[in-house]
Amino acid sequence: MDFHTDLLVIGGGMAGLVAGTVATEKGLETVLLRKGQSATAYSSGAVDVIGYLPEASAPFISPEEGLTAIAGLYPLHPYSIVGYGEDVSPEQVVDTIISRTKTAIDWLKEHLSKTRTPLVGDFSSNIYPITILGTTKPTCLIQQTMYPADLEENEESTLLFAGIRGFPEFNSAAAAKTYLEDRVALSLPPRKVAHCEIRTTPFGETLNLSQIEIARHLDHNEGLEDFAAQLKDHTDRVGATHVAIPPILGLRNAVANQTKLKDLLSAHVFELLGFPPSVPGLRLQLALEGIFQESGGKMMVGHEAKSFKLKNGVVESVLAQAPKRAATISAKAFILASGKFIGGGLTGDENGIRETIFGLMTVTGSYHSAEDILPSKSTNRLAITPEGQPVYATGLTVDPNFRPIQEEGVEWAGNLFAAGSVLAGYNYSVEKSGLGVALTSGYSAALNVSDYVKEVSK
Amino acid sequence: MGESEFDVVVIGGGSTGTAVARDCAMRGLRTLLLERDDIASATVGTCAGMISSGLKYRREPDIVRMCSREVVNLNRISRHIIMKVPILTPFFSLEEVGSSTDYVTSYANHAEERDVPEMLFLTPDAAVELEPKLNPDILASVYYEEFFIDPFRLCMLQAMDAMNHGAIVKTYCEVIDIETDDAGSVEGVVYYNRVTGAIEKARTKTIVNSAGPWAHKVAEFAGAKLELRLNKGAHVILDRRVVNVGLVLKALDNRWIYLVPHENTTLLGTTALDTWEDPDSLVASFDEIEYLLQSFEKHVPTIREARIIRTMAGVRPLVPQWNMPEEDVTRGYEVIDHETTDNVKGLVSFTGGKLVMCRIMAEDATDLIMKKLRRTTKCKTHEKPLPGNEDDVDIVALSKEYGVHMHALERMRARRGTEIVKILELTRDHPEWKTTICTCEPIIEAEIRYAIREEFPQTLNDLRRRLRLGTGPCQGTFCTYKAAGILADELDLSGDDFLVDILDFRAERWKGIRPSMRGEQLAQEELAQGMYACVGNLDQSDVDYDIKPWEEGT
Repeated sequence: MDFHTDLLVIGGGMAGLVAGTVATEKGLETVLLRKGQSATAYSSGAVDVIGYLPEASAPFISPEEGLTAIAGLYPLHPYSIVGYGEDVSPEQVVDTIISRTKTAIDWLKEHLSKTRTPLVGDFSSNIYPITILGTTKPTCLIQQTMYPADLEENEESTLLFAGIRGFPEFNSAAAAKTYLEDRVALSLPPRKVAHCEIRTTPFGETLNLSQIEIARHLDHNEGLEDFAAQLKDHTDRVGATHVAIPPILGLRNAVANQTKLKDLLSAHVFELLGFPPSVPGLRLQLALEGIFQESGGKMMVGHEAKSFKLKNGVVESVLAQAPKRAATISAKAFILASGKFIGGGLTGDENGIRETIFGLMTVTGSYHSAEDILPSKSTNRLAITPEGQPVYATGLTVDPNFRPIQEEGVEWAGNLFAAGSVLAGYNYSVEKSGLGVALTSGYSAALNVSDYVKEVSK
Repeated sequence: MGESEFDVVVIGGGSTGTAVARDCAMRGLRTLLLERDDIASATVGTCAGMISSGLKYRREPDIVRMCSREVVNLNRISRHIIMKVPILTPFFSLEEVGSSTDYVTSYANHAEERDVPEMLFLTPDAAVELEPKLNPDILASVYYEEFFIDPFRLCMLQAMDAMNHGAIVKTYCEVIDIETDDAGSVEGVVYYNRVTGAIEKARTKTIVNSAGPWAHKVAEFAGAKLELRLNKGAHVILDRRVVNVGLVLKALDNRWIYLVPHENTTLLGTTALDTWEDPDSLVASFDEIEYLLQSFEKHVPTIREARIIRTMAGVRPLVPQWNMPEEDVTRGYEVIDHETTDNVKGLVSFTGGKLVMCRIMAEDATDLIMKKLRRTTKCKTHEKPLPGNEDDVDIVALSKEYGVHMHALERMRARRGTEIVKILELTRDHPEWKTTICTCEPIIEAEIRYAIREEFPQTLNDLRRRLRLGTGPCQGTFCTYKAAGILADELDLSGDDFLVDILDFRAERWKGIRPSMRGEQLAQEELAQGMYACVGNLDQSDVDYDIKPWEEGT
């Protein structure tokens, strides 16, 4: 099966799906390859833009503040790249970066507003959702079901952390203590925090429960009602105004479930940020796939880009391989959004770090060649630090149009663009910038592709 | 300053120290064991657990005889934590097979007492049938069998048994001085309690110094001299059972190295480098990792396909013989009476020895202590079972009775023997404790709670040594925070301490992961960073985290 399309997107996480949707909306016929599950589906489901500068300890108040700092200090950061387009004057660089990111954020919010995963929060400030550890982290957008309402403003609020028996991912007592200690230190509400454990038996199971099993169970009325009835005893007992639960509110009906629980409990129920495999991550993934397909894009799930043909400085085609079939897909342009090590866009061994499909030049976070670096040498002695592990800032370096470049600084192919975590120059775990970079770079790459395709189709 | 009186103080909670404490306690001595960290946290915690038949040491027939007898003894007292592993040594040429086959005779001499067959020569076909990952181009191979013990459980059980016989075992208590009188006789030890921060003192006339690679420093406290040859050994740990038969062969430099299936992983080791570094900050080097991998590439061509999940490095406290390679140093041990060597009365130290010898070493040292104390009770440590080895365990029946799947139970049985019933009984009141917390191993919540209540862990790392928590392919990515929650609950920890435990455990896992970061492990660690730094925001946490020795410097 061989066919032609305007744009082939390789990678089906946030960057690839946003790029694909934007391109389709711009009128390009778009096909997207997704090899397996994306890192987006493993994420907490919150969309970070920028929380911290690397090595810094004070979070940014807003994405705008963070982007201004990034633009000044890290001109090659993926966020900074949009500021160096041909038509941008030096005085406009910072504003361009900020306005592009804001446009992308607004675009995402608007597109997801009608899906199962509407987002809250906006570009004007960072917010601090609570995690299943009881810690908080700065982020820009969270799913509506994760929204804690007036919990931290209302002097009268009482928060109940509700865990579930047989579900080991969330320890409500430990989270409650951690969170309360923080609030006491800050001398801010809520002043009262409690915890409890309830029983739920998704599909008859009482042990080894997973987020996804419980979420599916709560998508059914009986599951939700039983959950609510048990929770009610506890909320009434402690007089809870807010209830924090692990991210399990449903895969399909999470938003409606949140409303229903509020009615039944007279308390505001919200989901904590959780660890993979994560229900909100999966919801976000499914919602993004939904908008891409609705826009007219085609997905080929289970297909992996295996090889390519390059002719006259442009990529002609890519061979997409599935377990039982293969397709040679020729396209006018290609977007590489294959992710980092989890996604499989990069690999590393004792000989260095490599891009897996095209063999593109890889660089470190400080833009030295990563072709020969030993991954273990690109790490810190400390496991978890604000400096992060440098190996996770390696990847591709791109021109202002998001085209990967070679050593001489020119693009590797005229029609190959890249977006998302395959890019070098940022460490999303410490910056708290993962899905934001994916979104903005995917959005920007698609705009550039659209211009490019129009140009070559003339 | 608290003060108390003992017949004997044992310094060091490794395989030898715990064996000494057990022996002393069983012979009725008021015994105190002081360990600066946790039980089995240094040398023995980085070994493969082989209780060697002594095959490698056939130049020393007495040692071979002793090894074999001790294998029999350990099998008698602790068979529940011992596994028999078939071993192949493949040869590519006649030259490798050797003109002399004295190793066959040496092995055969003691095969019967250990209940293993004599050494067999196998054709390539027969060898590949046993271990399909073996290169079929081999000329021949020999087959024999060795026993492997869970080194953490051995030390734990020896410590627990010592306590059952009245000994006091104190972990996180570091000896900082030994007091002697004017005549040079031992009067007591001074130690720093790292948990409470207090300086404490124990009065005693006799001390057994089983501090392993720190033994010379402990001897110095009493003004005694002890020489050791410290030698670093590193292992590479692969994410699965790459082989189901152990392979022993000659490395690039003709030293013997091995690849052995170990629990749910495979161990590749070891290296041997004389070391003067701080044992606490020692990690495997890139050269050591490559040396081990390259040495096996010809025999197991697919070895690099497996994911390296971590490395571990430890220090052998060898007998101080120099001007020879490490392999030629005697594998025997010495019990040194410092009364004879330095005129320090009451202090006894060890050098040398192997894991398999820990019990007999303890017997020797305890005999000497008994003589010093003019006591006569005989050693019984080779006769009395260690806790859990009192009876057989019927996994099938227990699985039915308690509703826990057999895989989890079989793994638990291999740690606990008959003690398994006490753990399962906890699930009667708390059926939800049958939930699996560490899915790699697997370990259920009830065993974690039991270990916290009964086996005095202070940290998640202590739990790891007791349970193998977080030692599998994901290296604790998915169980660190779950187990931390349980520890916080049982010990009523503050929120900050809950987070510190998570950071401590990640730090210790990272120590081993970092030197071998490559391949799929890059994705595994990206996930761990994504969880603990990106989502948990622990990189920004302001809790009181103490930098670990291996994290110092830049």
